[in-house]
Amino acid sequence: MNDRDPLDRPLSAAYRPGVAYDEMYDKEAGVRSHYAALQSRISTLGAGELADRQRTLEQSFLLQGITFTVYGAETSTEQIIPTDLFPRIIPAAEWAKIEAGLAQRLQALNLFLADIYGDQIILKDGVVPRDLVLGAPAYRREMQGLYVPHKAYANVCGSDLIRNEAGEFVVLEDNLRVPSGVSYMLANRDAAKRTFPGTYRTSGVRSIERYPDMLLATLKTLAAEWRPNPQVVVLTPGVYNSAYYEHAYLARLMGAPLVEGRDLVVHDNLVYMRTTVGLKRVDVIYRRVDDDYIDHLTFRRDSALGAAGLFNAYRAGNVVIANAPGAGVADDKAVYAYVPEIIRYYLDQEPILSNVETYLCREPKQLGYVLDNLDKLVVKAVGASGGYGMLVGPHASAQERSDFAQQLKADPSNYIAQPTIQLSTAPCLVDGAIEPRHVDLRPFILCGDKIVVTPGALTRVALKRGSLVVNSSQGGGSKDTWVLTGENETTAAGDLPA
Amino acid sequence: MMLARVADSLYWMGRYIERAEHVSRLSDVMLTASLDATGDAPRAARTALGAPEDIDEGKTAVDVALGLILDREDPGSVIVSVARARENARQVRDQITSETWERLNLLFLRITSPDAKRQFDQRAVTFLHEVISDLHLFKGAVDSTMSHGEGWRFLMLGIYLERAQLIARLLDASFGEAAQGSPLSDHLSQMGLLRMACALEPYLRVYTADIQPRLIQEFLLFNEDFPRSIRFSTARIEEHLRALAGHGNVQASGVPERLAGRLSSRLRFADLEETATSGAGGLLATVSQDCGRIHEAIYGAFVAYPLEQHLPT
Repeated sequence: MNDRDPLDRPLSAAYRPGVAYDEMYDKEAGVRSHYAALQSRISTLGAGELADRQRTLEQSFLLQGITFTVYGAETSTEQIIPTDLFPRIIPAAEWAKIEAGLAQRLQALNLFLADIYGDQIILKDGVVPRDLVLGAPAYRREMQGLYVPHKAYANVCGSDLIRNEAGEFVVLEDNLRVPSGVSYMLANRDAAKRTFPGTYRTSGVRSIERYPDMLLATLKTLAAEWRPNPQVVVLTPGVYNSAYYEHAYLARLMGAPLVEGRDLVVHDNLVYMRTTVGLKRVDVIYRRVDDDYIDHLTFRRDSALGAAGLFNAYRAGNVVIANAPGAGVADDKAVYAYVPEIIRYYLDQEPILSNVETYLCREPKQLGYVLDNLDKLVVKAVGASGGYGMLVGPHASAQERSDFAQQLKADPSNYIAQPTIQLSTAPCLVDGAIEPRHVDLRPFILCGDKIVVTPGALTRVALKRGSLVVNSSQGGGSKDTWVLTGENETTAAGDLPA
Repeated sequence: MMLARVADSLYWMGRYIERAEHVSRLSDVMLTASLDATGDAPRAARTALGAPEDIDEGKTAVDVALGLILDREDPGSVIVSVARARENARQVRDQITSETWERLNLLFLRITSPDAKRQFDQRAVTFLHEVISDLHLFKGAVDSTMSHGEGWRFLMLGIYLERAQLIARLLDASFGEAAQGSPLSDHLSQMGLLRMACALEPYLRVYTADIQPRLIQEFLLFNEDFPRSIRFSTARIEEHLRALAGHGNVQASGVPERLAGRLSSRLRFADLEETATSGAGGLLATVSQDCGRIHEAIYGAFVAYPLEQHLPT
């Protein structure tokens, strides 16, 4: 071929990072050292070859069924969750800080939950306003005073981190309810190993493949000691749930039955599943169903996704529900603002990872500031998630802002606001060209009798140019995340360094 | 031990897979046979598929085949069967191997692709052969990658119960009451029938090219080794149910095994002379009815049993 492809030129010529921190290039457009191996590999591949690899990747997702269904007028088609072939790379030293910060945070949040559902000392000490916690939508009065194994309320946590303009990782959100995405993390890794095998091998990437057995081990530590061989199950809302693929994936890799509410029977405060040979006792339920739906006798009455009487069996200590009902009160968007204080209060340590500056609209002074600066802020409804119920000030029209201001004034305690942060960008293959796209980072943390941070993460990508919203429900995609064993090292990948 | 709902899904997955393969093969033979002006095979195929009236509406064999393969409104079409098999597979995705799932998913993507109709229009027979061989690959993946334990047995039960009923219906449409007094009589149609049961070559090994209605019936009813004979199918049903009965509540799970044992013995010890007096039709009806009873008994024993039987007292 004589006509040289534009991509055969050095990547930096075509790639124009904006004002945000770029994961691959520094401000002088030099390649960051931990990206050097990948960058040099990419530069040897032409546009056609990259497109081929992207296609192979998408085909493999399609075949595995990592899809959602799009219903059309006549036919329904399967579409894959968008995925990008270039891994996002995090050097060892940065990861060490993230890891320590996440462990610290989850430890403090579980202590906070144990306190809130126990003696509520932190409220008596006035560190966090009482009404803010007890009035949070995710607070569950039914959990008050219940025994929770190891006081581990949140057993699976998927925090959202972002890297700000200064290149610092900060926590945007803690997800302590039913965080999803871990199957995409694992599927992306599978794919990346096939897409860039040589680069993967020489880069020294930490392995994440043990996540399912770590999860199983974590769940087993929650079972009662006198149940020697605890039966763990995964509870799914069913095949029509958008995360069903993940539920089935985790069940398969843990070797645990994937149950629906209709498979469970509660009798005399014991939980059973209906099997071909009668009823079999269930000890630990890794539920992927929201609090509201797990037991219509205790929570929402119109739900058929859980099992009647499940909460009573839980209260009686005969079954473990993970994550514990009510754990979501600690990831409430208003409680979030107090997490640094919570860490200092319980652990007497400075937070390793910072929060994003947050304005609580329930405070009249802060509300005033928010209303005056709507064009610079992101405003979020406290109870909502998935990118719903939020206003991205700089991207909204004047009309949208004034409409939102009315909602804000009507119910200020339902909202928080944060400055608009330019999330860092990473290279992505978009329509045949390599372009920067904003990304976040969702690592997964397990907590049973101890805390384990998986050395990897799901990197979510805002696929629209300039967009800062990475949620899959808002058109986001994902890519693999490589955590390196050492800076720039080209040794064989070590598994879990001491 | 497995979830009752999972056993149910595996069982139905088997039934839908078998149905898809059968309908694909019948369509294939019907298309080929319709090239020859003579012969009753197309009529028998349509009767076996429960669509004899299509002939009167003046539809061509290609129209009928297109409907049988790609009509999403027809509950018996291949596309519906494959979609339902996949829906069941999705329900039990944690119980089947990735190899098995990917085979079925590949077929589903092929047959539901927006391009499927064009491919069928251009080269219908090739398209059908690809569908059939995809189904064989699926069964191969089931056999060679899944544990041959409880779940696999429920899947196989679905396949063999469906098969026994489909072959019985095919024989009935060719020689029995459903043939309405005009049994397949010409050589070409009889070869067509053997092809519909995927039996032509195995038949020739046993009986040579001497093709007769009596021998065809004997082969498809009583042959011990041919995997699509009714005797072979019922023997497998009995075998799987016996193994499943060993797993649990003997009292309840013994019922389907007993029913299957009776049907299987009947086929093992009967021959055509014996049925000649009453005609094969009687035996075919028994096969159909007994398969229905076994189906219900499987539900009663493994899937939809009364909870009271099992609650600790």
